[in-house]
Amino acid sequence: MTDLVSLLTTRHAYVLFVLLSTIGLYMLIANQNLVKKIIGLNMFQTGVFLFFVTSAYRVGGSAPILEGGPYVSPLPQVIVLTAIVVGISLTAVGLALTIRLYNEYGTLRADALREVIGDE
Amino acid sequence: MSDDRTDGRFDQDGITRQRPAYTESQVIMTTVKAVIPFVMTYGLFITFHGADSPGGGFQGGAIIASVVLMIAFAFGIESTREWLANTTVVGLGTAGVLAFAAIGFGPILLGGNFLEYTQYYPLLGSTLGLKPYEFVKYGMEAVEIVGIAFIVSGILMGLFFVLAAGDSHSEPGDAGSKFDVLVDSEGDRRDGADSASLEGETDD
Amino acid sequence: MSDILLPLLVTIPLTLAVFPLLFGLRFKNAGWPIALGGSLAVTAMASLLTAEIYTAETTDGQRFIHEMAGYPAPYGIELVGDGLSTLIALLIGVVSVAVLIYGRTTGPQSNAFYSGYLLLTGGLLGMALTGDLFNLFVFLEIVGLVTYALVASDDSGMAAYGALKYLFLGTVGASLYLIGVGYALVATGTLNMLDLQSTLAEIGYTDPLVQASFGFILIGLLLKIAVFPLHTWQPDAYTYAPDTVSAYISALVSTTAAYALIRISYDVFTVDFFAANPLITDAVVLVASISIVVGSLLAAMQTEIKRVFAYSSVAQFGMIVVAIGLNSQTALFGAVIHLVGHGLMKATLFMGAGVLSTAYGATTVSDYAGLAKRAPISAGAMAVTGLALVGIPPSVGILGKWYIALGAVESGSWSVAIVIFISTLLTLIYVARIIETLYFNAPTETSHEEATASESVDRVAISDSPVTDGGHTNQVAVERIAVVAILAVSTVVLFASVDLFATLLDPVFGRFF
Repeated sequence: MTDLVSLLTTRHAYVLFVLLSTIGLYMLIANQNLVKKIIGLNMFQTGVFLFFVTSAYRVGGSAPILEGGPYVSPLPQVIVLTAIVVGISLTAVGLALTIRLYNEYGTLRADALREVIGDE
Repeated sequence: MSDDRTDGRFDQDGITRQRPAYTESQVIMTTVKAVIPFVMTYGLFITFHGADSPGGGFQGGAIIASVVLMIAFAFGIESTREWLANTTVVGLGTAGVLAFAAIGFGPILLGGNFLEYTQYYPLLGSTLGLKPYEFVKYGMEAVEIVGIAFIVSGILMGLFFVLAAGDSHSEPGDAGSKFDVLVDSEGDRRDGADSASLEGETDD
Repeated sequence: MSDILLPLLVTIPLTLAVFPLLFGLRFKNAGWPIALGGSLAVTAMASLLTAEIYTAETTDGQRFIHEMAGYPAPYGIELVGDGLSTLIALLIGVVSVAVLIYGRTTGPQSNAFYSGYLLLTGGLLGMALTGDLFNLFVFLEIVGLVTYALVASDDSGMAAYGALKYLFLGTVGASLYLIGVGYALVATGTLNMLDLQSTLAEIGYTDPLVQASFGFILIGLLLKIAVFPLHTWQPDAYTYAPDTVSAYISALVSTTAAYALIRISYDVFTVDFFAANPLITDAVVLVASISIVVGSLLAAMQTEIKRVFAYSSVAQFGMIVVAIGLNSQTALFGAVIHLVGHGLMKATLFMGAGVLSTAYGATTVSDYAGLAKRAPISAGAMAVTGLALVGIPPSVGILGKWYIALGAVESGSWSVAIVIFISTLLTLIYVARIIETLYFNAPTETSHEEATASESVDRVAISDSPVTDGGHTNQVAVERIAVVAILAVSTVVLFASVDLFATLLDPVFGRFF
């Protein structure tokens, strides 16, 4: 029990990463609305970004600009920036496809789409 | 009841939804007219101050694109799209890529590696008065400001109009050739004839 | 000089990708010439690079490294070209030229499509040539993004459905890969592949962080390669996409992802990692074997032609992943040969299916009845390629399978060899069904159509006989059939190329094992 408590107090960011990613993944799998699936995908990716930024943090560190003192690591921050851009593009393409599916079939539910397209 | 505004779609409760027509809201229009210059300046500020503080090309480009989005929400998407000509959006995106490519390929022509900005020193060092290592900083800034901000703002503006046009793709031709990304304007070709055969078609 | 070719190979297609959009503001059909020019340039540079590596004498000359922006290795991003990566680059170039010539008059032809085509080529080349784990992620996502857009470039709703399904699964795969890269970064502090090789060894291969990193990278890439049970996006995406796009992505996207898995498994996590973690190799071999059998079974059960080929891809890539898990040099040699050969064979099969679908509207296996009389060249090419896929010598298919089976026997996994044999039999089932329907089944239309078909023969010069289909003639452009025939012949001719592969790959494998 004490292990869990110390885990939650010292490594809470990693616990949050696991929580966010799992919730996002669950939303992606279980929810039938396409837009909510995209939101779940975004949440999953946000959890991953949280992991990267947390791994860069140093207690007492400052921003990685030449001022003095210990710096937080800039490399994971750049990784997260690039991954955010990628995530936005994916969301944009996903939403465009959802709009097209809605125009074509009139529904946003994945199970209804599966039935309709499976029959064709 | 204005039946022509229902588009016949059912949402998941089986209720026909009316497509919300664009309504002019005096509040939004006035606010947007007042706020836009500041947002644009802020976007440019963020773009230029990417090296020593949080910011940079991508963030600034997104804020600049949001200016056009705000105009679209305030004054109507169709009229904004006509005002912001197709050429501007495509031009922004392509100018950004070409600028990035030019800055990146230059060092290759001068004998170095890709994106090795210090190779510019023998050529431009005396005219710009910079030491070799300062070229790294200004080269990166040039790529960010001229390359990435342009690309991001152009792409986000273009993507917004493509998404907004999504429910009116009956005439894909008049929205400009760029916006046919997800709609093939020449019709379904999956099982159909080659376009060459359509030209040589004889009617028997 | 030659390591300049590496950034040029990656950036030239990406830069050229804006030109169809730019010129499209002015001219209507500016896309195809630019795309063809870019693909030809890429093929030329890739062959130049391969020739230089092939004829290199010293071990130094067999590997080109280009440091981007001049930053040395652990700090900067490197582009690495050795025998393995330039082989894949050459495959990318050749297939992109072939599919472009094939798709000149059919399929989506908007300027945005050709722009996406060039972006996809650039992204694939970046994936093949990079030496940095995060750079691989970026190019993986570029490839994925453009593939989702290209799959949906048809006008139908089904294409959008296939693309959206692919988007969800592919993005989850790439994000899992990113988590794996993050674990590796946290463990070692570097992202460069060569640097990771030494630093991971220092940490120890039984450290749970290293094992978890490999696990996430493996699952992410397996999603992109489409191995059972992570393959569910593939049949829909390949079937509903336009024929040109199906041919291109089936040949190249999963291939490059499999190359990335080979590169990461053997260059970053070396054979010692596999030796220290027998559980991981057993799991990989088990999952891949199941994928081989299930893929072939599902392929034999399908009625629609493109679905048959899509499920067959699941089986073939299962074979390649089995070879990765076997940890043996012969098996890996077979895997690389099978990668290249399968790319060519699948492209030919999808392009042939597209020709027959355009000319005769034939999309299911039963529609193919008796088409061999009316489309001799296309049917012959598809039959030859199908037999090559089964593994009838002489063809490139038997070469890859032979070495994989040999490697399995050498490392003592008799079960894997038996599974490969079973899969060959199952592949024979569906290929033989297609060939039999093509050649030996009677055509199923009325005599009225046969009469009009025979009197329009004199109008045809070289291409296949057109068929009257409700009053429209569907003539197939000559170059499409020519491309299919040439590629089919190449799959047979490559049987003699073992020495070529060996010279290119031996220095690479010497480093791996």
